Amino acid sequence: MLNRPLSPWQIPVLVLALIVVLFPIFWLVMTAIKPPIDWNASPAIWIPSEPTLINFQTLFDPDAIRAHGVGGVSQSATRAVLGSIMASLSSTFLAVALGLISAIGLSRYSRTNWATPLIILSGRMFPPAAIAVPFVIIFSMTNLMDTYPGLVAIYTAVTLPFSTWMLKSFVDDLPREMEEAAMLDGKSRLAAHLTITLPLIKGGLFSTTMLVFILNWSEYMFAQVLSNTKIATIPVQLAKYVTATAGTLYGVQAALAVLAMVPLIIGGYFIQGHLARGLTFGAIKK
Amino acid sequence: MATSILDKLPAPEENEANASSLESIESPESPKSPKSSETPESPESIECPESFESNVLNAPIEPTIHKAPTNEAEPLNASIGSDASDASSEAQNQASPSVASFKPNGKKAKNQGRIFTIPGQVVSLVVLVLPLVVALYMSFTDWSPTRSSLRDASFVGLENYQELLIFDNRFLQAVGRTALLAVVCLSLEFVFGLALATLFLRTFRGQKFLFSAFLTPMMVLPVVVGYTFWMLFQSNGPINQMLALVGLGGVEWFRNSNLAFLAVIITEVWHWTPLFFLILLSGLNSVPENPIRAAVILGATPRQVFWKVVFPMLRPVIIVAFVIRAMEIIKIFDEVFLLTRGGPGTATETISLYIYKLAFNDFQLAYGAAAAFLVLACSILMVHLLMIPVRDQLLENRS
Repeated sequence: MLNRPLSPWQIPVLVLALIVVLFPIFWLVMTAIKPPIDWNASPAIWIPSEPTLINFQTLFDPDAIRAHGVGGVSQSATRAVLGSIMASLSSTFLAVALGLISAIGLSRYSRTNWATPLIILSGRMFPPAAIAVPFVIIFSMTNLMDTYPGLVAIYTAVTLPFSTWMLKSFVDDLPREMEEAAMLDGKSRLAAHLTITLPLIKGGLFSTTMLVFILNWSEYMFAQVLSNTKIATIPVQLAKYVTATAGTLYGVQAALAVLAMVPLIIGGYFIQGHLARGLTFGAIKK
Repeated sequence: MATSILDKLPAPEENEANASSLESIESPESPKSPKSSETPESPESIECPESFESNVLNAPIEPTIHKAPTNEAEPLNASIGSDASDASSEAQNQASPSVASFKPNGKKAKNQGRIFTIPGQVVSLVVLVLPLVVALYMSFTDWSPTRSSLRDASFVGLENYQELLIFDNRFLQAVGRTALLAVVCLSLEFVFGLALATLFLRTFRGQKFLFSAFLTPMMVLPVVVGYTFWMLFQSNGPINQMLALVGLGGVEWFRNSNLAFLAVIITEVWHWTPLFFLILLSGLNSVPENPIRAAVILGATPRQVFWKVVFPMLRPVIIVAFVIRAMEIIKIFDEVFLLTRGGPGTATETISLYIYKLAFNDFQLAYGAAAAFLVLACSILMVHLLMIPVRDQLLENRS
């Protein structure tokens, strides 16, 4: 819009902002490669003199850290990592697949009035702590407590409105003449959507999938409430290190946090172009 | 401009003749800012950024676009492009072509099409709505799992709600605290986000890298953010180290109520300012250029241009940003739970934390559910009121 260069005083502002933005991430990564003796040193050590990968190793082999004189890590994080991958992937797939069908239905075959976005958004307004309460009751009646299918069901249901609404905004962007033309050529309604609509929104489909995955991957409370001994996810495991042995496992925790964070930062980078639309439920198109 | 976009349309052959005839009509249209997107631009998207000025120009030709593949006589108001304006009007919606144009027997097609939404509805109904109904019923009982089963619980009507609203100071304080948190955080996020976004209207080296970097905090898991800032705010942590340099040594962030609250605010602002930045930047980038040029020609200073021309056009975008963030901040849980657990005492206990503690520490499930429904009612009311000015934006779906 302005196409002007920065004024001299604006450069330090940007640099300062960059430092503020990146500092916590820098600190987390540094903590993840600190040897146990540096974890909680006083004064704090900013950059470890002897960087190590022992924390990452400990995640999957709890005994590894014993050599450094640290106890208290009793559980490997393997189960949590696998659990997170499994639960997030399957619920993302379900939510996006169901959301795509609903999005086409909503966009092409029904009227949305003012109440529709409000109803869809309400699902996201409800405090999760409160949804968790009835879930716990119903799941304990149906033996779904502490199982992955139960977790996947919740994740799917919670992200379905989101994926539907976001995909709908992409389908809305397509002129319906294309599908109509295919139908005039004798294609069935379903075939027209599969061969015309789907390929044209694949960018949007990818972004939606990624965002839904981010939501599922980050989810903490439902997993915390519904898991007991049989299932775990990364956020639950991360919080466990805090509660069980508060303040003593900085490095291991940070290593798990880095592992959890990296896929999202990479994935987020690829969908930057659709981020605004996704996070505003399609209200902002660019 | 408009013609080049039409050319990009991989339109079937029937459309081509019409497209070329359209060129001659549409070409005098005002220049538009090109919108890039992976999906080919549709005719209707031409007018989305400046619908107020080009509506008149576009309206007469749209029936032509539309008729092309269907050979159906459509009423004028059924044009695609005027949807933004007719979205609110139910009567016009009925006349709109969505279904009728697919097959002549519109009503049947509509019913068949409804099938598409059924799977999603079933899942939502079973997994989301059903528990909510159970919770709603629960909130009218005195049920607690430590005492009896839900079936035996006695119905107490509005007693839980009464208790919450009149006698439960801890709840009311949590509500007030969450509201305060929302107001402070949203204002700060808005100011920082707008400042950064305006800087990005200029051109400089490394802009792309900085843009990606500034979006990073949003991608980080809330749990990780909470844990990271918990480390940063430790009494021997880096923040205290830096404060010691300016003579403020030994701050105990998590032992002092106000400081703990401040820590939550800082964490939240760091985490979500990027969202404001992103939304405001895309808003700023889609502001049409002509009014700005006009203002500049008329002698407006850059400051006047920003506050008198650009800012009013940004208003819907700003409201959307506030609504989305307000919704999230009302539910805030993960960061606070890892950062302070609501402490010291209840100094940083937000609504979600209070409900969580009620339900899963004290097992007062019915009471917790009542609190949740109160919160939901308030948020719906708030979001509804806030969104009235921008609902056309949200409904800009041309269905």
